[in-house]
Amino acid sequence: MPVNAEKEITKLWKAKQGAQGEICNTYYRWRDFALGLAGENADPMNVALDAAEAFGRYIGKGMLPRLNLLKGDEAFIGMVAKQLAATWANEGAVVTVEPGEKPTEAVIRCKRDTWPTAAKTFDVPMEEVARTREKLFESMLVDPSVFFNKPLAIEMQKAIPRGEGEWVFKLYMKEQ
Amino acid sequence: MAKQLFEWDYASYPGAKTYPHLFSPIEIGNLIVPNRIKYAATEDNLNQHDGFVTDADVEYMRRRAEGVVGGLCFMQGVYMDPARKGQGYVGQAAAWDDKYIPGLKKIADAIHSEKAVAGFQLMDCGRVGAVEVPVGHGPSAVPQRLRIFKPMAEMTNAEVKEMIQQHVDAAKRGAEAGFDVMEISGIVGYLISNFISKYTNRRTDEYGGDIRGRMQAVVEIIQGVKEAVGPDIPVGIRLCSEELLDDVGGNTPEESMESYKISEEAGVDYISCTLGWQESIFPVISRDIPQGNWLYLAKRAKEHVKVPVQMAYRIFLPQFPEEAISKGELDMWEICRSMIADPLMPKKVAEGREEEIRHCVACNLCLARLFRDAPMTCYISPVCAHEHDPAFFPTPVEDEDDKKEVMIVGAGPAGLECAYVAAQRGHDVHVYDKREEIGGTLNEASHAPYGDEELMTCVDFQKTMCEKYGVELHLGTEVTEELIEEEAPDTVILATGPVYKKVPGADENAKNIVNVLDVLSGKGSVGDKVVVWGNRKPGIGVALKLAKEGKKVTIVGEEKSAGFDINPSFKWRYMIYLRQNGVTAYNDCTIDEVGDGGIVVKTFDGHRFPVECDTIIVTEREANESLKSAVQSEGAELYVVGDALVPRNLSSAVHDGYRIGLRI
Repeated sequence: MPVNAEKEITKLWKAKQGAQGEICNTYYRWRDFALGLAGENADPMNVALDAAEAFGRYIGKGMLPRLNLLKGDEAFIGMVAKQLAATWANEGAVVTVEPGEKPTEAVIRCKRDTWPTAAKTFDVPMEEVARTREKLFESMLVDPSVFFNKPLAIEMQKAIPRGEGEWVFKLYMKEQ
Repeated sequence: MAKQLFEWDYASYPGAKTYPHLFSPIEIGNLIVPNRIKYAATEDNLNQHDGFVTDADVEYMRRRAEGVVGGLCFMQGVYMDPARKGQGYVGQAAAWDDKYIPGLKKIADAIHSEKAVAGFQLMDCGRVGAVEVPVGHGPSAVPQRLRIFKPMAEMTNAEVKEMIQQHVDAAKRGAEAGFDVMEISGIVGYLISNFISKYTNRRTDEYGGDIRGRMQAVVEIIQGVKEAVGPDIPVGIRLCSEELLDDVGGNTPEESMESYKISEEAGVDYISCTLGWQESIFPVISRDIPQGNWLYLAKRAKEHVKVPVQMAYRIFLPQFPEEAISKGELDMWEICRSMIADPLMPKKVAEGREEEIRHCVACNLCLARLFRDAPMTCYISPVCAHEHDPAFFPTPVEDEDDKKEVMIVGAGPAGLECAYVAAQRGHDVHVYDKREEIGGTLNEASHAPYGDEELMTCVDFQKTMCEKYGVELHLGTEVTEELIEEEAPDTVILATGPVYKKVPGADENAKNIVNVLDVLSGKGSVGDKVVVWGNRKPGIGVALKLAKEGKKVTIVGEEKSAGFDINPSFKWRYMIYLRQNGVTAYNDCTIDEVGDGGIVVKTFDGHRFPVECDTIIVTEREANESLKSAVQSEGAELYVVGDALVPRNLSSAVHDGYRIGLRI
C-alpha cells in the first residue's frame, strides 16, 4: 500500500497553516469593512472591542456543553483554561496552560501568536491587538460564569503585541 | 366521600387476574380511579400553532382514553400565558383565554366517551419554552447550554405572581371544560422545575433562596389551583426525584425529596415521580437503560410522602408496576411512549392479548420530532398521530374480485408488516423467505449492544398478527423466477432486504472481508484489528459489539457524520459509547486500497493514510434489484418495500410495509 506519509502530512500541514492564516486575514478584512460602515468618526478601538465582545459571548456559549462541575472547582478552572487555550491554538498560536498560585487559578501562556503578524499586514495598531484578545477572553467567560454560578475573571499580565515576549493571562475564580 | 365517575368491572378481563394490583381501584383525593393505569400527558404537536385544539388531537386522545380501560388519561400540558413564553411546542394547546374552552371540552368529552378519567395538565415550558418568541422566561436568566433553546429573561416579582395566577385561571378553564383531575408539570426543565432547582433559580426575593424559598411559587400554585377547582377535582404534580444536574450545580436528591414533602404539605393529592432534565448529560429513557431501572426512585418517594406516587420512565411491561404496587413501592403505572407506540397497550394487557402489543423500542424519535417542530411520529407505529384519518386504517376489500393472491418475498419487518395488513383486508397472503426463521436481517441486527434486542419485539408482534389474520408462511423457500411463474400471484411484494456493497479495491473472495450479518450472528471470524466499512447504524452497532469484546475498531464511512441515520435524541448516546469504547471513526472518507495488514483511507478531499487491520467488515448497503424483472415479465403488480427499495432502518421498513399493505 504505497502511501507517501511525508507527502500526505505535508499536504495536511500546509492546508492547516493556510486555514489558520485565513482566520486572521478574514477578521481584518471584515474589520476594514466594518470601519468603513461605521464612518470616519468611529473609533477603531471601540469597533474592535465591540466585535471582540460579540465574538467572545458566542464562543463562550459554545464552551458550555464541554464544561462541568463534577470534579470540583479546581478541575473546573482547568477545563475553562483549556477551552480558552484551545480556541487560540486553533488560530495558530502555541499555548500552554499551567496551574496558578491558588487551586482556583490557572495561567494561560502563549509564546507564538499569528495575530500580531497579520495585524501588521493590515496596519492595525498593536495595542488594539492586545486589548482585543483581552476583551475576547473576558467575554468568553460571561456565560460560563452565570451558567455555572462561578464568577470567573481573567487578567492580562503580558502581551506579545506590547513587546513583552509572550502572552500571559491569569484566569481565576472570584470570591463569592 | 370519594366518588367514582364510571363503573368498571374487571372480573371478566383475563389480565385483571394476572395483574390484580394493576386493575384495583385507588383513591386520588376525592376521586376513585378504577385501576392503576395512567396515560401521562404527552405533547404531540398536533394542535394549531395558535393553541386551538384540532380534531387530530381529539382523536389521538380518544384512542389513548380507550387504551387506559377506565384509568387516568391526560391531555398534553397547556401553556397559559398570552405572551407565549411558556409555549414549548409549536402544536401545544393553550389555555390562557376562555376562547380555548370549547376545544379543550372536545378532548375531555372524547376521554369521557371511553369511560376514562380526564386529566388536564398545566405546563409552562419555562427554560425550554418560547418556541415562537425570541426570549423565554424563568426565575433567573441562566444561559442555555443547548443552542436549540431560546435565551432567558429573569421574571420580575410581579411577573412571578402573574404566572401563578395564570396557572390558577387555566385550571379553572380546564375544570369548566370538564376535566376531572388537574396536574402541575414540574419536570425536565419546564418552568416549575426551574423555580425548584438551585441551578436555574438564583433569586433573592421570596421565590428564591433555600429549597423552601424555591418552592414558594409552587406552593402558591398548588394552593391557588386547589381553591379554584374545589374539593372534587384532585390536584397532582409531576416532580423530579433527581434532576441529574450535578455537573451544573443542580439540586441534591435530598432537596428533591424535600420538594415532594413541601408539595404534599401544600395539598397535592398525588405526586408523579420523574427524573432528569432535557439538559441532563445522563441517559434516562433511551433503549440502553434497562426496563424498570428507575423504580427505586418511586420506592424512595413513597418513603417520604403519603399521597399516591405514580411513575413512568422505562416501565414498558406490566409485570414491573404490578410487582412494585404489590410491594407498596408504587401506586400507579404511568405510560407515555408505550402508548404512543400502541395506544391500546394497557387494554390489551387487560384483555389478555399482550402478544398483540406493538411495543415501543425506546428510540426517542417521537421526542426528536417534537423538538424540531414536527408532528408526533412513532418509529414503530405507522398509525400514530393519524388516528383521525381513515386512510391510515385497513379497510376490508369488499368485492371478491378485488381480493388478490399476494406473494411477499422476504419475512423481515417490511414483508411481515405488509403481510398482516393485506391479509387483514381480505387478501390471500403468502410470505416466502429463504431463511428458516422470520425477522430478516433484524435477527442479526438485534445482537448489537445497548438494548437492540428490544427491536425484536416488532417481529414478535408481526408474527402474532400474521397468525391472527391467516398469513401463510413459506420459510426455507427461496423465491425464483420459476416459482413466481408457477404461483402466478396477482401481486408481488419484494421485501428481500438490501444487498451489500463490494469493498473498493478489494479482492471479492478475500477471506478477511466479512459481512456484518455474519459477525453479528457469530458466524464470521474476526481478528483483533477491525475496520468497519460504513458509518451508519449497522456499522456503529457492529463496531460497538466488537469493541466491547476487546477488538481495536476503526469505522470508515462516506457519511459526513457517523450515525446520521439515527435520530438525534438517541444518536448522542451512540457517540458517547463510541468514545468510551475507543472506536475511531473516519467520516467523509472511503477505502481507497486494501492490502496485506491494512487499508488506505481516502478523505473527501483526497488525503490518504493507512489504517492497520486484519479484518474488514462490510456494512454498506444498496437497493436490491433482484427478481424485479422476473415479476414484471410475469405481468404481476409489483411493489418494493424496506431496505430492498432503499436501505434505511427498521422504522422505514415497518412504515413501507404498512402503507403498501393498505394500498394493494
